[in-house]
Amino acid sequence: MYLGLKEMCHEKLRYTLLSGVLLLIALVVFMLAGLANGLSNGNRQAVDAWQARIVYLNKNANQTMSASQLKLADQKKLSGKQIAPLASLSGTLRTTNNHLKTTASAFGTSRTSFLMPKLVSGHQINGKNQVLISADLKAAGYKLGQKVRIGTTKQTVKIVGTYGKSTYMIAPTLYTDIATMNRLKGAPITSGDQQTVNGFVTKESSFKNAKHGDLEKLSIATFINKLPGYSAEQLTLNTMIYFLFAIALAIIGIFMFVLTLQKQPLFGVLKVQGIGTGHILAALLTQSIAMALIGIVLGLGITVGLAQIMPAGLPFVVNWPQFGLYSLALLAASVVGALLSWRTVAKIDPAVAIG
Amino acid sequence: MTQAVLALQHINKQFGHGHTAVTALTDANFEVSAGQFVAIIGPSGSGKSTFLTIAAGLQTPTKGQVLLNGTELAAQSEKARLAYRFNEIGFILQSSNLIPFLNVTEQLKLVDKMAKRPFQKDRAAQLLKELALSEVATAYPSELSGGERQRVAIVRALYNDPSVILADEPTASLDTPRSIDVVERLANEAHQHQKAIVMVTHDQRLIGNCDVVYQIEDGVMTRQRG
Ligand SMILES: Nc1ncnc2c1ncn2[C@@H]1O[C@H](COP(=O)(O)OP(=O)(O)O)[C@@H](O)[C@H]1O
Ligand SMILES: [Mg+2]
Repeated sequence: MYLGLKEMCHEKLRYTLLSGVLLLIALVVFMLAGLANGLSNGNRQAVDAWQARIVYLNKNANQTMSASQLKLADQKKLSGKQIAPLASLSGTLRTTNNHLKTTASAFGTSRTSFLMPKLVSGHQINGKNQVLISADLKAAGYKLGQKVRIGTTKQTVKIVGTYGKSTYMIAPTLYTDIATMNRLKGAPITSGDQQTVNGFVTKESSFKNAKHGDLEKLSIATFINKLPGYSAEQLTLNTMIYFLFAIALAIIGIFMFVLTLQKQPLFGVLKVQGIGTGHILAALLTQSIAMALIGIVLGLGITVGLAQIMPAGLPFVVNWPQFGLYSLALLAASVVGALLSWRTVAKIDPAVAIG
Repeated sequence: MTQAVLALQHINKQFGHGHTAVTALTDANFEVSAGQFVAIIGPSGSGKSTFLTIAAGLQTPTKGQVLLNGTELAAQSEKARLAYRFNEIGFILQSSNLIPFLNVTEQLKLVDKMAKRPFQKDRAAQLLKELALSEVATAYPSELSGGERQRVAIVRALYNDPSVILADEPTASLDTPRSIDVVERLANEAHQHQKAIVMVTHDQRLIGNCDVVYQIEDGVMTRQRG
């Protein structure tokens, strides 16, 4: 401790520069993590809000909701509580006068389903051709009572309620009932249990028996991973983050090793005086941990600061437990980096210092 | 006669094997008691440093034994030897004894940190005064003269209150007046504080204050005086 910190105080420039390098690495790690979170959130925020555990889709749909077609009647093959039919439509939301245009993800579910979001203003759907919009759409200028169209049909619907922030596949969401959704899609059947839906979302359920036709049961985690682009995006960003951990390790490792080689005569003198390998390593560890801490703390500070001034269009989410974990990983990388000099320190022969 | 603090008996040291082997020490016998200032004098390459490293447990002799306060060093574990070096031996080297990024007082504080005890302020002040270093107590090694640096090394060696101080050509980097000053101070410490001090040198003019003088030539050690 004492040796390590005293040296850092005496060699301020050297250790400030190295802390600066670690700061840059930490900054890039946190920025990438924030962007990965932002993208992830943009894809799955609505799904997370459902607090569901299981999704049923058509087994020929390759686990993708938009490709899945089922009938409302298929719900009879399932048993359990809180089973909600779900129809989805990705399309352009626009006011009837075309003043506002937004790409949106629309969901249709039964009016009393647990998937229906909690309202901030307006009322729940209680009649034909009504929709609820998310805070994101409200912020874009859509208002209660407005008539809007979604997708390619002439069908107009009325905004009757708004709820909190919610996105799905990087587009803000809106909710309606199954029949309205089928009218928006221009489906031939818009009432009764032969209507098409894309799937069923449930909290607790199972197949009633082995004869469940085209239905396939997915965990919510699998469902999310199968969102188009989702896993590729996350994998890319996370791989970059993991590489940065390795780079942090290499940089600390190389710097500490070079410094160790340079300080071999000094370490020899220390050993002559009975200050052994353990104490010398402790000093190296103190230094690398101190530098990593400086880099991580400043990196976090700058990241959080940048998050405040980022344009709203840039998806960025600060996830503290995750940032904590990444900080620990960077710290661990610098500890391991410093330990790479262990052998070199241990091999320094004090007898060489005399002569 | 009082028991020797440090005794080396029938020490042989060989480097390498076969026809490239170098014999650095041949049947060396040596002892030093508390309060004695002993000089080992010999030309360059005669085996002086080899002798000191063996005495300090930094190298093991090919043959023979090293006794510190009657206990054999070779029988100890590596860890025990490190502790022995830290607690019982003060080392003064030719130069670069000091840690460049610690000031004079901090060099001493480090010893206390390693021993896990609070800084002995009064002891530090007293030793620095004894060696006329009070003025430079907060100076860094790079700000000191060669003589001051060697005196700091003496303080550092004494500070931990070791039984033996081994000095390897402590005056090699100093001019004659400063060399004589440093050697006088070493003699003084040995006699005043009952330390066993062993000084290695190749300079005949510096051994006037020594109680015992050993001559070493081509690895053969002979007791000259005392
Ligand atoms: N590690 C070593 N390997 C091989 N030869 C050595 C080693 N250390 C010392 N020697 C040899 O032992 C002899 C004595 O060296 P040394 O004790 O350093 O002499 P001095 O200190 O009196 O100048 C020299 O011939 C030197 O070359
Ligand atoms: Mg020598």
